Amino acid sequence: MVPLDDVQGLILRSYGMDCAAFFLLRVKDAAAARRTLGSLSVMPGTVWEQKPPFCVNVALTYEGLAALGVAASSLDSFPREFAAGAFSRCAEVGDTGSCSAESWEYGLGQPGLHALVLLFAQNDEVRDAQTASLREKLISSGAWSEIATLPGDVLPGSVAHFGYRDGFSQPTIDCGLENPFPDKQPIAPPGEFLLGYPSQFDQFTYPVPVPDELGRNGSFMVLRILEQDCAAFDALLKQAQVSYGIDGELLAAKIVGRWRNGTPLSLSPDSDSPAPPLEASDWNQYDYVPSAAVPNAFNDRRGARCPIGSHMRRANPRGSTIAGDGASKHRIVRRGIPYGPPYDSSKPDDGVKRGLLGLFIGVSIKDQFEFLMSEWINGGTFAPGIYGTTDPLLGNSTDGDNTFVIPREGSKPIVISKFPRLVTTRGSAYTFLPSMSGLRFIANLS
Amino acid sequence: MKIVQNPLTLIMNIKSPEDFAQLNGLLTKIQSAPPEQNPIWVALTKLKTVHFARFVFLSNNTQLAVITTYDGDFDKYINDFVDTIGDVFNALLSHMQGAPPLPVQQNRDAFLAYVKQNDLRGMDPFYSAYPTASVVTILDALNQG
Repeated sequence: MVPLDDVQGLILRSYGMDCAAFFLLRVKDAAAARRTLGSLSVMPGTVWEQKPPFCVNVALTYEGLAALGVAASSLDSFPREFAAGAFSRCAEVGDTGSCSAESWEYGLGQPGLHALVLLFAQNDEVRDAQTASLREKLISSGAWSEIATLPGDVLPGSVAHFGYRDGFSQPTIDCGLENPFPDKQPIAPPGEFLLGYPSQFDQFTYPVPVPDELGRNGSFMVLRILEQDCAAFDALLKQAQVSYGIDGELLAAKIVGRWRNGTPLSLSPDSDSPAPPLEASDWNQYDYVPSAAVPNAFNDRRGARCPIGSHMRRANPRGSTIAGDGASKHRIVRRGIPYGPPYDSSKPDDGVKRGLLGLFIGVSIKDQFEFLMSEWINGGTFAPGIYGTTDPLLGNSTDGDNTFVIPREGSKPIVISKFPRLVTTRGSAYTFLPSMSGLRFIANLS
Repeated sequence: MKIVQNPLTLIMNIKSPEDFAQLNGLLTKIQSAPPEQNPIWVALTKLKTVHFARFVFLSNNTQLAVITTYDGDFDKYINDFVDTIGDVFNALLSHMQGAPPLPVQQNRDAFLAYVKQNDLRGMDPFYSAYPTASVVTILDALNQG
């Protein structure tokens, strides 16, 4: 059994809060910084009787653990990719060209970040009050210096900046908490997302960093600051009919694999409003091909409904024929919130930055986040029909040099060459989410 | 053009003539089974990264070579590889000198290091008649995907 009260809640559940503030911090006074960690009310994974007004979670980088006084023997027991840091793993992840670490913001392109304190709040009044309180406790006390604080806000209609509803597909973790949108993939063992339990791989448990009190029930989290070019996306959809012979909304659906209202193409290939309407609980209950779990699925093995190269089908191919032992061994927990104001198509060149503050969680950054990025998002050989292409949203093809292929039943595919870059990495960090015991362990170091 | 396939030429040193005899018996039994009962066929069919695979005894039966052509990066698919065919390697490696700690399922990094250390690959360039075609692409083209 997973002790829910020892696990940071962010790993196990989506908070569903409208506002956030991510503090990017650096240790100023190690003893004081440890004390503040011990005094923060960090949200555990216990079942809520009532949704709280706000939640706080804490993640630390490798340099952060060192700066807080964690012993070398303990630091050595953490995975290499975590120790190396996001700025050293750009080649693995595909952060090249305009996405490379040299151009990241907030100094994230080099060592310096020690901690992320993540505040999620039900509304902006609560966020403002808690931001002030945290700033007082963390910064004014002289414990930490503030590199930056990044606000995030859910947009009207609960959509991300390109207008898609998001966040439906999350693995169901075998820990007793309910998944609001369960899928038909196997339930993930706790060890796929928490240190100290048998993993998704045969007879294998990821090594727990030592001491056990620090490592067990922890997990790893990748922060991604992903800037979205709404004007380019808007222009792409507007020119779709004339340039590529496809309706703009249908192109939007083909890019992601869902219509922008969340209806998956696999269940409704021609309309975002099928009749009879889909229940929200159906939105994640599909497969791309008939499988043991979804035997009556439409056989879309060539992607005539949902392109094999679409964002969703790359990020989680489900039952599709792919290289390797199936899609269920490389799943990831996704949290995140948009930043920047909504895009106004009447002001395409408003110069305002907007995008997504993405958080990607798993027991192994290498086998989950990095595998996903290198093999599925940026890879062109794990599945048929996508050689030489990358993900239309997150792919690392040289700017303007991607190709997006939209297969069609009974006619030639639509091939969009010179597919524009829509998302640019502006920063990333590899962090460790200690357990509640782990945070106490660090707080009590001397 | 980057070739999507790669060569594996894994040469393992057999401990003794008795080990060779046992290995020979084991592999003969596995390889003479019908495909659906041959754990190597079953595993590689599931894995869909290996184009061809064969076992060859070398040097007066003092070495066993595993020669394959596979797609992509072996490191990336090590977990998938171990999960599908780990037990076959547990059986083979128990007869080898310098074998990594077993079972390979519980010693994945050591198994990967052993494979890399004993993989002679081949002299470059590696020739491919269809450099951009992965196993999944070929199976799809043949309507076997």
